[in-house]
Amino acid sequence: MEASSAGRQDDPGQEGRGQQLAGLLAQVARGDHSAFEEVYDQLAGPVYGLVRKVLRDPAQSEEVAQEVMLDVWRTASRFDAGRGSAGAWVMTIAHRRAVDRVRTETAAAAREQKAAASPENGDNVAELVENALDQQRVRRCLDALTPLQAEAVTLAYYGGYTYPQVAELLGVALGTVKTRIRDGLIRMRDCMGVTR
Amino acid sequence: MRSQRPELHLLTGAYAADALAGAELGQFEKHLDLCPSCAEEVRGLRETAARLGIATSIVPPPAMRQQVLQAANRTRQLPPSDRRLLAVGAPRRRARLRRPLTAVAVTAMAAAIVVLAFLQTATQHRLQQVQSANQAIAAVLIAPDARIETHGTTVGGTVTAVVSARNHEAVITSARMPVPPASRVYQLWVMSASGTRSAGLMPAISAGAGSTAPVLTADVQPGDRLGITIEPAGGSARPTTAPIAVLSVYA
Repeated sequence: MEASSAGRQDDPGQEGRGQQLAGLLAQVARGDHSAFEEVYDQLAGPVYGLVRKVLRDPAQSEEVAQEVMLDVWRTASRFDAGRGSAGAWVMTIAHRRAVDRVRTETAAAAREQKAAASPENGDNVAELVENALDQQRVRRCLDALTPLQAEAVTLAYYGGYTYPQVAELLGVALGTVKTRIRDGLIRMRDCMGVTR
Repeated sequence: MRSQRPELHLLTGAYAADALAGAELGQFEKHLDLCPSCAEEVRGLRETAARLGIATSIVPPPAMRQQVLQAANRTRQLPPSDRRLLAVGAPRRRARLRRPLTAVAVTAMAAAIVVLAFLQTATQHRLQQVQSANQAIAAVLIAPDARIETHGTTVGGTVTAVVSARNHEAVITSARMPVPPASRVYQLWVMSASGTRSAGLMPAISAGAGSTAPVLTADVQPGDRLGITIEPAGGSARPTTAPIAVLSVYA
C-alpha cells in the first residue's frame, strides 16, 4: 500500500524543501541562530496557522506558537531525519501543543464560550493566507473523501477533538470514527502523494 | 492481517491526528513498538496530517518573530539525546510565555527544560499524557461533586470508582483483586443507553499492594454504568464474558 503511492509525488519541490529544512535543523541543533531565523521564516506561518485553527483565540494561539518555535530551537538536536520529514516534526510539535492546550479544562471552557459567542470565527480569518497552493491541494483531496471521512478527519485534526468526542459530535459509533479517520488520512496521503 | 491486534491497527489514523487520549494512547504506543507495519503507517499518516497543518498557514503577528528570536538567544538547547535517558517528573504546565517574553519566563522555562530529556516526540507525548492523566485524575478526586462507589467483584477484591458527574469523568481503582488468569486482562466498559464501549484495560495489579493504579474514564454520563470483564490479553472490542462488577454513575 505504502509503496504504491511512492511514484505519485506530484510536487517535486516538496522533497527538496524538506531536505533543505532538515539541513537547517541540523545547523540549528549546533546553535546556529541564522539557521533558526530561516527555519522561523519558513515555519512560523504554518505553525501559527495550525495552532490558530485549533485554538481559535488569537492571543492564546500566539503564545502557543511562540512556545512551539522555541521548542524547535531547544530540541532541534532530537530531530531524526530517519523518522520523518522536518516539516512533519515541527507540525507534530505544534499540533500536540495546541491539542494539549485545548484539553486542559479551563482552556477548553474558555474556548467553548468564545466559540459560542462568535460561531463565525476561525474559518473566516481575514488574515493573509500563505501557501495557497498547499491549501488548494489539501482542499481538493479533502473533497475527494466521503463526507463522513472528511468530517472525521477535520474534527479530529483541525478541531483538536479526541476520536470519542468526534464520534459523539457526529452521532456515529466509535469504531466507525476510528476507521473513517484512518481511511480518510490514507486517502489524503495517496491523493497528496505523500511518499513515506 | 499483519498485526495480531487488528482493532489496534485501526487506531493509526486517530493516533496520527493526536485524537487518542488516556489509557488507549498508552496501549497503542505499546502496540506500536511491536508492530512495524503500524509504525510505518503512522509515519505516513503523520506526514499527511502535517500537510493539512501546513495548508492552514497564515502570516503570524509580526512582533512574534523578534520575541521568539530573542527568547532563543536566552535559551539553552538540549544536547543530542542518549535515547535511553528519560527524565521523569517534567512539569507539564511549563512557565507560559508571556508577551513580550520576559527574562523571568524564559529563565523559568529554561529551568523546566533542563529537567526534560526528550527522547523522540512520541515519548515526549507519552510523558505529557501521563502527566496530564495525573492532573485529570486529581481534578476528578477534588471535584466538589465527586462520589465514591465501591463494589465487591465476583472474583474477589473490590473496585472503587470516584465519579464526578459534572466533569463527566470517573477514576477507577481496585484493591485485592486476584491477578487475572494467564493471557487474560481486566477490561473496563462504559455501559450507556446507546451501547457499551471499552474504557480500556485495567492497569496491571501491583504485586505488593494488590491494587491497580487509578485510571481515568472520560465521557461518563449520569445513568451510565461502569463494568469490568475478564478478556483475552489485549482486550476485546466488545465484552465477551459476564461482568465481574458493575458500578452505577449517579447524577
